[in-house]
Amino acid sequence: MTSRTRALLATGVWGLTVIPALVALPLSLRDRLPEPLATHWSGATPDGNMSFTRNMLFSVGMAAVIMAVMAGIAVHGKAFERRLSRGYWWGILFGSAVFVIGMEWSILRANLDVPVWTQATGFGWDVLVVLGASAAVGVLAGFLLRGEPDQAAPEGEAPPRLRLRSGQRSVWVSRVSNPWLVALTAGSALLTAAVGVLTLMGLTSGAGWSLLGVSVVLLAVGLLTSSITARITEDGLAIGFGPFGWPVRRIRLSKIDSAWSEQRFPSQVGGWGIRGVPGAAAIMLRGGDCLVLRYRSGGQLLISIDDAERGAALLNALIEERAGA
Amino acid sequence: MLLTLDLNDPRPLHEQVAGAIRRAIGEGSYQAGDRLPPAKDLADALGINANTVLRALRDLRDEGLLEFRRGRGVSVAGVPTGRALIVQRARDLLEEAKKYGYSRDDLIEVLKELS
Repeated sequence: MTSRTRALLATGVWGLTVIPALVALPLSLRDRLPEPLATHWSGATPDGNMSFTRNMLFSVGMAAVIMAVMAGIAVHGKAFERRLSRGYWWGILFGSAVFVIGMEWSILRANLDVPVWTQATGFGWDVLVVLGASAAVGVLAGFLLRGEPDQAAPEGEAPPRLRLRSGQRSVWVSRVSNPWLVALTAGSALLTAAVGVLTLMGLTSGAGWSLLGVSVVLLAVGLLTSSITARITEDGLAIGFGPFGWPVRRIRLSKIDSAWSEQRFPSQVGGWGIRGVPGAAAIMLRGGDCLVLRYRSGGQLLISIDDAERGAALLNALIEERAGA
Repeated sequence: MLLTLDLNDPRPLHEQVAGAIRRAIGEGSYQAGDRLPPAKDLADALGINANTVLRALRDLRDEGLLEFRRGRGVSVAGVPTGRALIVQRARDLLEEAKKYGYSRDDLIEVLKELS
């Protein structure tokens, strides 16, 4: 069964479970509910109502829309090509089931055994519980059903490798910086200084402070992402951000599956800087030579850096040596 | 820059570091004019004192392989010639031979046998 058929089947099962539940739940409590029902709250007091039937149709309609969207994404099929989007799809499917049933349940619970809708009880922590539960179920389902890691090593792939001899210690050190980003950082440093002085002297109006805030943020981001250093030792890879090599992101050798070098460009990863989501991240300062790591967990990290092929070769050799030891 | 040190090498550490940098440049990691990583980065990665790396860099500058420029750090002045690389490899070979109890003269004999 392909992942698309399985997803469509799951969407069908979802509809056959969630929609009957949304009909059966209010029907089973009908004689204990007021007519109309309180369906909207501001703070702890109800301020909106719907008739029993409209409320039921509304929740069923919401479920039908979710089902149609999920089925549409499944038919399109693109979402199942990558592990991250597969995880999202399954997470949203299961999480939304808990969400729609949970919201219906909390509306009914608030209206249970009250004579008129204005006396419905508050609607506070129920919502938090429902949101928390649907998020938890969604994350769990996404994690369990995300499937195989992306890019299983292609047949006959030969990542660059280096021969290490016992009694030798090899390290790799490299750095990269982008002159444009450095210039931007220097510019925002000047701007920060100028606006800072003017603001402290009281020469600017209210806008001065917000301009100062923006230029400080630009300066901080620029300092962190205009240059990076990378080094590979027996401990793994350490990436230092900014001219002082701090903060440092360390990736232990045991987490890395393999490494290789590739020519990649900012247009392929969504621009300059630190990009992407956990599982498919990129630290992109300039187009060209990039070091790519495949994590054991299936994710990928791309770092634009000079001399990437030697770094990848050393990483692969160290991983192999560690596996042999 | 890929640097390899031999942990059993009896030579002073700064000489070994200089040898490793010479090899890295000779293997084509760096072209003339390229900047080397800062000495501090190299020292951190190798787990040695930054002064040891600086001493190695100064030795290589005296050899004419590197040049120091104020504000621009250390850059490669010229790619080592074939002879410089052969000398480096011969030095390594001599060290290796000594480990197995062969003297310099023994090694010369081995080389003569090769031709």
